[in-house]
Amino acid sequence: MDPVLTTCPFCPCGCGFYLHVQDGRTEGVIPSEGDPVSRGRLCARGWGSHEAPAWGERLTEPLMRHEGRMRPVSWETALEAAADSLVATRRAGRTIGVLGSARATNEENYLAVRLARGALQTPHVVSCLTATYQPLLDGLHDVTGRHAGSGTVADLEHCEVIILVEGDVAVTHPQVAGAIVRARKAGCRLVTIGAVASQMTSLAALSIASTPGRERAVTFALVAAALAGGRLDTATIVAAGASFDALRRSLAEAEVSEAVARAAGWYAQAQRAAIVVAPLVADAAELRRLAGDLATLAAATGHLDRDGSPLLILPARGNLRGACEVGASPNFLPGFAPLSDDGAGSRLEGVWGVPPVRETGLDAAQMLTVARGVVIVAEDPTAVMPAGALAREALRRMECVVLLDAFATPALELATVVLPIASFAENDGTVTGLDGRVRQVRAAVRPPGKARPGWAVLAAMLGRLGPATEYHGAEEVRREIARAMPPDIGARWREVDEARVVPRAERNGGRRPSLGPLAPCEPIKPAPSVAVWDGVLDWGSDPLVRYSPTLCRDSAAQRKLFPGGFVELSKEAMDRLGVRQGWPVRLKSAGGEAVAPAVMRADLAAGVVVVPFAFRDALAPVMGGHGVTSVAVERA
Amino acid sequence: MQVSSARTIGKERTGEWIGRLIENAEVVAPTAAQAGDVIFRKISSPVEVQWGSDNPLFPPKQVVLPQTDPLVTISRGADGLVVEPVYDERPRVLFGVHSCDVKGIDFLTRMHAYDLADTAYLRRAAALTSVSVACITPCPLGFCICCDAGPFLAESFDVQLTDLGDRFLAEVGSEKGGRLVEPSADLFRTAEAGEVARRHELEEAAKRAFGPETCHFASAMRRVSVGRVSAELWDEIAGTCLECGACNFVCPTCYCFSVKDQGRDGHWVRCRTWDSCQFRAFTREASGHNPREAHRERVKRRFFHKVSAQYFRRDGAVGCVGCGRCVKVCLGTTDMPAVVAAIRKGAWHG
Ligand code: SF4
Ligand code: SF4
Repeated sequence: MDPVLTTCPFCPCGCGFYLHVQDGRTEGVIPSEGDPVSRGRLCARGWGSHEAPAWGERLTEPLMRHEGRMRPVSWETALEAAADSLVATRRAGRTIGVLGSARATNEENYLAVRLARGALQTPHVVSCLTATYQPLLDGLHDVTGRHAGSGTVADLEHCEVIILVEGDVAVTHPQVAGAIVRARKAGCRLVTIGAVASQMTSLAALSIASTPGRERAVTFALVAAALAGGRLDTATIVAAGASFDALRRSLAEAEVSEAVARAAGWYAQAQRAAIVVAPLVADAAELRRLAGDLATLAAATGHLDRDGSPLLILPARGNLRGACEVGASPNFLPGFAPLSDDGAGSRLEGVWGVPPVRETGLDAAQMLTVARGVVIVAEDPTAVMPAGALAREALRRMECVVLLDAFATPALELATVVLPIASFAENDGTVTGLDGRVRQVRAAVRPPGKARPGWAVLAAMLGRLGPATEYHGAEEVRREIARAMPPDIGARWREVDEARVVPRAERNGGRRPSLGPLAPCEPIKPAPSVAVWDGVLDWGSDPLVRYSPTLCRDSAAQRKLFPGGFVELSKEAMDRLGVRQGWPVRLKSAGGEAVAPAVMRADLAAGVVVVPFAFRDALAPVMGGHGVTSVAVERA
Repeated sequence: MQVSSARTIGKERTGEWIGRLIENAEVVAPTAAQAGDVIFRKISSPVEVQWGSDNPLFPPKQVVLPQTDPLVTISRGADGLVVEPVYDERPRVLFGVHSCDVKGIDFLTRMHAYDLADTAYLRRAAALTSVSVACITPCPLGFCICCDAGPFLAESFDVQLTDLGDRFLAEVGSEKGGRLVEPSADLFRTAEAGEVARRHELEEAAKRAFGPETCHFASAMRRVSVGRVSAELWDEIAGTCLECGACNFVCPTCYCFSVKDQGRDGHWVRCRTWDSCQFRAFTREASGHNPREAHRERVKRRFFHKVSAQYFRRDGAVGCVGCGRCVKVCLGTTDMPAVVAAIRKGAWHG
């Protein structure tokens, strides 16, 4: 069997490689030097991606809950039950919604949007991770007029300066980390901003400490420092006119440290300089402002849209960018068309045969709370949502939970109808990389049992709920996406050209960035300690990791060692409290308290307590569903 | 190689020869793949062979050591579980392989025969015959010359071809190799002295073409073997490794594995799968204790195994054939030449 070229399902770097197939099973991964993203280099997850489809617990036949038990049924029965229960829930005046996913292809996410805003006539379609990414895009849009950064991961290798708002990209986005390592070898100065030491901070020429959730204090100061330091882009500033003065005035209160001034100076002076934002744990407004700061910094110094000066916002997981781009986002129609855009409305009506619902949707957390019926495309909300336990309760309360997945996840317990779909190794379609490349996913083997490709299942649901819809393949869905999008973005979807990134025309769309005043930066309230989730989310709960015998080992060992969870403290904090490795500590916040064993994490700032995302539910009384909170820590 | 045993085959006749090989064995050769890559895979026609390509990024190691390698099947019988070994003894020809990869397989075979013989591996390897093409131009990142693994081979090969323009000189280095050439004697003729002389000229020229920039194992070996590399240096090196495992996966001499059972329609297949000594979990014990928890310990382990005198004595070679693949696949910058240089100089410039 010939090796099949496809795209990595894990992180949004979007590395290409070949799946090696033997006797109808994926048995290995072959790197591709010709692939423009990976250029032959993959991380451990990419190298292990053939395992879960072959070793994992697969869903192989449609299931329906009957008297509390899951029973196999025919596709016909399952699809009918799914459609009927959704319609009945809606008719009873209750809210229904659809969850897309970073684990699903663009085609599947798009059909999820069409299912919601078209066939089911509900505005609630979103992914569990949209809230971690969309606000950053909105912040870029405020300044640049588009919901995207620019440049590629490969561009990073040639940068003289890289400003990295760090989570832990060596773990979350290894290809980005690799590019940074190579840039540094070539003499690049790396500046990291973060509260938690990571492999990247250890390589930094300058590491700027930030308070978790308040990284914006640093980015705001960077803009002020750059403006004070001169070396600005005259054309942009002249064009901004009076708004530039307003910008300057808005920065008057900024506190610029020496480190921030140096970093801003390096960035402004470099020919090729990058800004990279790793997934952050902060509220939406803060994220939006942070991205606005960084876009302003890039624009004012002339780096915005300059070839060789990338501005990269890293989505937390695989196809999160694609999911948002095709419309799994409360405030947009496909292609980030505003809901108020009549042109977009009639364009979609032309394509869908029904006018799209153009109301604002709920975010995933609200939707889960309010809705009584939901379609979930390739996701386990209990593993991905900030409050996993709440998501579980919410799903339990629902009248119908239609779950499409390739793997058995804990969400299975909560589903009323299960529709088995193909995993990435058996699916055709596209995913969008963090740089905007639309990349091809190709089926290497057949789906197990009665499982079908996700796009085909969603198309069948659409057909039952609305005007007859038939696609002769995932490619036909992609071509429909191109027609559903605003023309400038749609162009990128018409032909999948893997070597190409976001075209320049789409990048600036003829617009100049609009510089203007930045929102004031609230002072950081002093707190004894701040507890924060690690920015890595929980790879261990991703079925592609969990079911890979090679990849699951670290997270499985952690869960075995600390079944009830743990928190990470600095050496300084542990010494001060007089606790040793594994001893219990009590965390108290305004919301409540919890006790957990303490584990030392080298180089953590003294006032920071890291709560592993996998164990967030154990610490829920303290965190109260927030990613960051002020806490007092004591020996328990 | 004695002059009398060398033969030549006109390039126009190689297709015929390969065609005959395909009739009798599974022939694996470098072929073109979608994204412009060259990949070793089973061919069904001589035209699929990509002659003269750079050494494929993915080594032909999977021919003897598949990424997922079934070792035994386990099924339920009348009297409990029935365990049966799985042997793969299909005759295979690895055609168009470069010298370093022949040496790599030779290394693996020695290693799997050593101490407790690994029957599954050895049976597969015994059924494999290689037809290598000597390298008349060194590949850009290769340093096989420092590892006694190329550009031409003096031993360990079955059949070695040298490109003489319109024909190949074919040297037979083993009985297995003879069995590929003898039945097709009509396609070959005995080499003339001039052709053999030309082969030696090409070898000398190829060696000279490596230039001064090579990989100096000797002094690195001295330092690694007596523990004269500081923990700080290992830390620094580890700081630029992203624990992807690629160095191990593409290394022609790496064989770390893990064992897992795969359920397949009512029975299980116990598989050996590729693993990496750079993974934290590789040495984690059931208790949770990990003797190589620190990243630097894992990096140190890799290079100790590859270049220490202790292993050199046991294996008779450094655990590196100089193919240069780790330079290309390393997600960080922690490849063999870079680390050997760092060990020699006592400083890391990654
Ligand atoms: S860096 Fe990301 S896309 Fe590339 S192999 Fe790793 S997980 Fe896959
Ligand atoms: S290939 Fe490089 S980054 Fe990957 S494990 Fe090996 S040394 Fe580390």
